[in-house]
Amino acid sequence: MSAEVKTLKREGSTLAEKIYFVEIFKGMATTFGHFWRNLLDNSNLYVRHYPEVEPEIPVRWRGRHRLTSHDDGTVKCVACFMCQTNCPAECISIEAGERLDDKAEKMPVKFNIDLLECIYCGYCVEACPLDAIRMDTGIYSVTDNNRESFVLGLEDLLKTPGAFSEEEYKKGGA
Amino acid sequence: MAEMIKLFVNGNEVEVEAGKNLIDAIGAVGIEIPHLCYHPALGADGNCRMCLVGLEEGGPPLVAACKTPAAEGMKVLLDADHIKKIQHDVLEFQLINHPVDCPVCDQAGECSLQDYYMTYDGQKSRMTVPQVTKSKKMDFGCGVIHDQERCVLCGRCVRFCRQITKTGELGIVNRTDTARVAIFPGRPLDNRYAVNVVDLCPVGAMTSADFRFKQRVWFMKKERGVCHGCSKGCNITIDHNREKDQDDLIYRFRPLFNEQINGYFICDEGRLSYRDENENRLTEARLSKTTMSLDKAVTAGLKEIKRAEGIVILISPDCSLEQMVSVKSLAEELGATLSGFSDGYIKKGDGDDYLIQDDKAANRAGLAALNIDSSQTGFEEALAKAGLLINFNNDLSLFYDESSLKKLFKEKRVIGVTSRNTKLFQMANLVIPVASFTEYSGSIISCDNILQTFNRAITKNDTLVDICEVASLFGGPLKTDRDRYDELKKIVVSLNDFDPDTIPATGLKLT
Repeated sequence: MSAEVKTLKREGSTLAEKIYFVEIFKGMATTFGHFWRNLLDNSNLYVRHYPEVEPEIPVRWRGRHRLTSHDDGTVKCVACFMCQTNCPAECISIEAGERLDDKAEKMPVKFNIDLLECIYCGYCVEACPLDAIRMDTGIYSVTDNNRESFVLGLEDLLKTPGAFSEEEYKKGGA
Repeated sequence: MAEMIKLFVNGNEVEVEAGKNLIDAIGAVGIEIPHLCYHPALGADGNCRMCLVGLEEGGPPLVAACKTPAAEGMKVLLDADHIKKIQHDVLEFQLINHPVDCPVCDQAGECSLQDYYMTYDGQKSRMTVPQVTKSKKMDFGCGVIHDQERCVLCGRCVRFCRQITKTGELGIVNRTDTARVAIFPGRPLDNRYAVNVVDLCPVGAMTSADFRFKQRVWFMKKERGVCHGCSKGCNITIDHNREKDQDDLIYRFRPLFNEQINGYFICDEGRLSYRDENENRLTEARLSKTTMSLDKAVTAGLKEIKRAEGIVILISPDCSLEQMVSVKSLAEELGATLSGFSDGYIKKGDGDDYLIQDDKAANRAGLAALNIDSSQTGFEEALAKAGLLINFNNDLSLFYDESSLKKLFKEKRVIGVTSRNTKLFQMANLVIPVASFTEYSGSIISCDNILQTFNRAITKNDTLVDICEVASLFGGPLKTDRDRYDELKKIVVSLNDFDPDTIPATGLKLT
């Protein structure tokens, strides 16, 4: 199979174009055209007003992680280490301990995710047998000015709510 | 060499050892017959029915492989459809009431039931009735935790307590759905080998309280080692892992099979001795109260040696043979008296007729082999005349109490070369940290006169030097491993036929 060859005409080789003089005014006309249009009516700009207007995040977007909890507020995670085992970036570190509330035998006493190491692949969410870790917080921008604050602990992960309803999340193909 | 016989497995001829049952004989050539209740140390019980294999010609069509001795010309069927169906159905029975809580089970990753399910079963449960619930997390004593729901009633633990320790604390009570492994009321496990039932249990029904939830087994690296808890020299597997941003830590010792020495088991005390490798370690050299680098500490040590009038060098009976020859040649070089005095390591009456020995020193036979004097009078007389004691990791506090130690060290300078940050070494004027036995390679001679070698298993973030190296830094003439081995060969005659890497892994019986 031979590739289809399309020969494009080379622009800008006429004398009028080579002098630039006319072309400068043509370009200015385009620039000022946009300038005046946006100045008179900025309701349909071509650029996004970030951060004043935040983008709409779809349900399947892999945002910052959170740990889910049972209805009574206790953590769903049983510290099985599947997410840590599956994590290609090795950003999760868990410490397990005894659980005494009859929900399971085991629970995490420490659950750290280093967001600077995380590559947001979502393998932890896929590996979790209990739907205890999700990336549905809708948080896409994680910023700070020191490294320590990028390590999320158990508390931080538990207190962030999901950004979507349970129904939407399930429909989102998770 | 045992007699060899030929038999057929799935139509292929294999040569196996005679006098073994089918599981062991065929297993030795790499063909696995699934089994739960059989264990080579405990013999065949035949209750799990996982090892049923077919026999073509002669004998019944179906036999339990654990109870069938391998015989010449036997035609064993393993991959026939009806055998596969048996394995599949037995597993389905086993899993009827199994909680399948692998995510929280410590055995996951080294569980026979899990492995066999993946290999031989692999189907979803067909049960529609609720599962029978049983007791979980029962404390059986001695650091053994039992989960009745996970149990497959193979009876290995029960047989271990009856046959090996002969204490018989465990039994299976009731039948069918209500059958449970249990202790007698108020009579928990009470023997010094109890935690072996955790290793024996093919599933996660017996778990160790000490190891509970510490690590998932697939994270850990496994290394062979030799236990230094007593003079028996049991072979162990050192399970260790370097967690993110942490040091290389040991999480457990497990017994490693060695027919000559410990068989399949180790004692509980030795099993827990891994803690000493992680905790209370000396990591920095110290001159009186100030910490310093190794170079500076060695320089300070050399100054002490130069100044000293009469030196006594004391060596620990736990040291490897290589360390002993290094220190011995250092003593000769310095004109010092070398002593291996370590009566404190012997706990009279503590040993038994199985694995545990009275003598808690790993290499006392090595001291004797190298003709190092270890008498109390020899040590005390020499020390009385000397001005400097260089103590290579010998825990004198096992013999002397604090006041007599103070009396002993009065007006003496003491250099401690040690891996442990104990009170004894806090009394020393200068301490130099060295590697512990999981962090160096070496060889030791056990109480049964078996020479065993072991390799470095752990590499700490801040690696510590070996006693051999400290000895050579202090002016010892043996600088390389080769020097030490050649010196060793002169003394231990049996080593003449061997190189360091040709010494058998299972140990060399010295004559």
